[in-house]
Amino acid sequence: MDNLLRPSRRAVVLGLAAATARPATAAAVSVLRFGLTPVFLSSDLDLLANLQTYLEATTGYPVELVTRRTYQEITTLLVSGELDAAWICGYPYVAFRDRLSLVAVPVWRGRPLYQSYLLSAAGRGVRSLADLEGDVHAFSDPDSNSGFLVTAAELAEMDERPETFFERTLFTYSHRNVVRAVASGLAASGSVDGYVYEVLKEVSPDLIAPTEIVRASDWKPFPPIACPRAYEASAKTEALRVALMRMTDTGDGRAVLDLLRLDGFAPGQPGFFEPIRLAMESVRRLG
Amino acid sequence: MTGLRALPLAIRIPLLVAILMIAVGVVASERVLSRLQDVQERQLSDLTEAYLDGLSSSLVDPVLREDPWEVFDILDRARGLYAAVRPLETIVLDDRGTVLAASDPRRFPIGSPAPPQPDVLFANAAHVDEEEARAYARRMLTVEGRQVGSILVAIDAAPILEERRAVLFTLLASNAAVTLAAAVLGWIAVRRMVRPIRLLGTHLTQALDGPVSPIPAALIPAQRTEVGRLFRSYNALALALGERDALLARAAEEERLASLGRLASGMAHEINNPLGGLFNALDTLKVHGDKAAIRKGSVDLLERGLKGIRDVVRTTLATYRPDRELRPLRQADIDDLRILVRPETARKQLALDFGGRLDRDVPIDAFQLRQILLNVLLNACRAAPEGGTVRVTVGTKGADFMARIEDSGPGLPEDAEQILKGGLKPTAERGGLGLVITSRMVGDLGGSLVADTSALGGARITITIPMAVGAAAEEVLHVA
Repeated sequence: MDNLLRPSRRAVVLGLAAATARPATAAAVSVLRFGLTPVFLSSDLDLLANLQTYLEATTGYPVELVTRRTYQEITTLLVSGELDAAWICGYPYVAFRDRLSLVAVPVWRGRPLYQSYLLSAAGRGVRSLADLEGDVHAFSDPDSNSGFLVTAAELAEMDERPETFFERTLFTYSHRNVVRAVASGLAASGSVDGYVYEVLKEVSPDLIAPTEIVRASDWKPFPPIACPRAYEASAKTEALRVALMRMTDTGDGRAVLDLLRLDGFAPGQPGFFEPIRLAMESVRRLG
Repeated sequence: MTGLRALPLAIRIPLLVAILMIAVGVVASERVLSRLQDVQERQLSDLTEAYLDGLSSSLVDPVLREDPWEVFDILDRARGLYAAVRPLETIVLDDRGTVLAASDPRRFPIGSPAPPQPDVLFANAAHVDEEEARAYARRMLTVEGRQVGSILVAIDAAPILEERRAVLFTLLASNAAVTLAAAVLGWIAVRRMVRPIRLLGTHLTQALDGPVSPIPAALIPAQRTEVGRLFRSYNALALALGERDALLARAAEEERLASLGRLASGMAHEINNPLGGLFNALDTLKVHGDKAAIRKGSVDLLERGLKGIRDVVRTTLATYRPDRELRPLRQADIDDLRILVRPETARKQLALDFGGRLDRDVPIDAFQLRQILLNVLLNACRAAPEGGTVRVTVGTKGADFMARIEDSGPGLPEDAEQILKGGLKPTAERGGLGLVITSRMVGDLGGSLVADTSALGGARITITIPMAVGAAAEEVLHVA
């Protein structure tokens, strides 16, 4: 996968830039820079404000929430050490596992697991990925597990590649936009984060109404919070980990969890992401 | 056009006003609508341009990258941002002319060919399709002079068309109301203006059949108005005509009295003439009544003298009796004429020559006709010199009664002929009034009076009166 090799190159460049042009940004002001990807509802400003308030109160550090359009940009900042931690997808975590460390894993509906859904227009009546051949298919992000890798890996098992199996593929760079693309008819089908879809079902039932789930994947490891391996034992990382683990303890924390529809955060195990690594391997083998 | 001219002014003028108002309304409405259309289309074009400007600046990058999602996302957000433009459909084409993304992806899926576009689609103006109530516009997306794609947009033109229709209906309604009001006002105004003319017309029409009556003072407007002056002129005319008729009537009466005077003196003379003889006969009877021959001769003389007096009295009564009855003319009436003018002929020793006879009754009012013939005959006797000749010829010709009276006088003066032909007014100096009155009496009977020159050297008056015309003649016959 080209796009998995590219971040590493850019990460080096950015890392160098961070080391030379802005050598003491993070340390000098002691700001906790926390990156967010569209794994969750990043568009919700209330959520961002609540999260920032909670983290600042609990960790004692000023918190800067950093959002970017693509996973790749956040991953690059994280890998290069520009960020103290970030909520990234399991796929880039596995791709850069030798440079990143786990901080925490979200718990949704009692488990740190979620699914990838294949969506189509409501009433189309298709029941498997094989039925979607020749579609215009919407992915969320080339670095997303649920929004790309799961479907690509399943196609790899059928000896197919997305570019050829589908008539055309789109990247919308957010799970919400995958739902919009399918709902509007721009794409005939899409790959979407099951957790995001379930939350949208509650908060924006009108948006998901014209869509239906073709099939749900096996349960996959939930996108984790990771930090650069170099900061694994830093005081900021430790403070963040404690803040995440104890989120259920305070009203502010519970308010954030309510907005996220999550139960809480748990410590992660590196081997927990093995299914993603296997999927990545199968796709890479075919590529 | 002649049918229109036959309409009364009170209808024609309001009709003309209405037609003019409609014409003005049509022209003004056409100008308003055409201007409105220009303004609307310019506004629509400006809005569309603003919409396309906004879109094209943000669409160039995703179109270059051929990123359908971002193109769609921009179109989708633009729908809310440009709600005032009311874009119905927006389609973005790539450089090959296939659909990259459309606001309605189900109708125009990714990769489908471009939809047909109206032929008249210019780059810088929106084209309004009134049937579909849509406006179409197109914008090329160019980067460094190279065309990378294009935007097609269909805009909802229903509101502007609806506005145009509303303006049209408002114009129609207001124009119709104004036109109707103008026509009604015109009708009322013209009726008011024409009313005096109609009043004048009524008076003139009445004057044909009877006396000319002036317009009552209460109906005459102020002197300074046109109608005021017109009415005053008419009244002055009516007054002059009335005076002339009165003058003529008075003159006729005077003429009649004059001729009556002449007749009376003639009659007195006529009665006086035999009286001497009668008294002689009486004296003779008183003295020699015992002699049979003398008595018989005297009684015969008395009888003849009294008969002559009786004839004179009877004839005069027949001519001037006021309670006369309608009856036809007989030969006896012609014979009476001789008796009536005898004093005149005797005085001037005129030879009175009667020609022609009436074999049957002539169904013409005898009283009037006798009066006419007597007047003309008396005139002729007056015109004829001492010892001259007067010739009367009567008869019927076809359905007409004819009478010709000639004399050996000097002929009619020029004035009299002019007066008869109506060219001159009769005056005291000119005389001829009797002839004019006679001529009018002939006219009353439906006949004609012609004056020319007689073989006797004097005037010749020819009177022609149709017999049995109208009810008067029938009545005459019936009475007879």
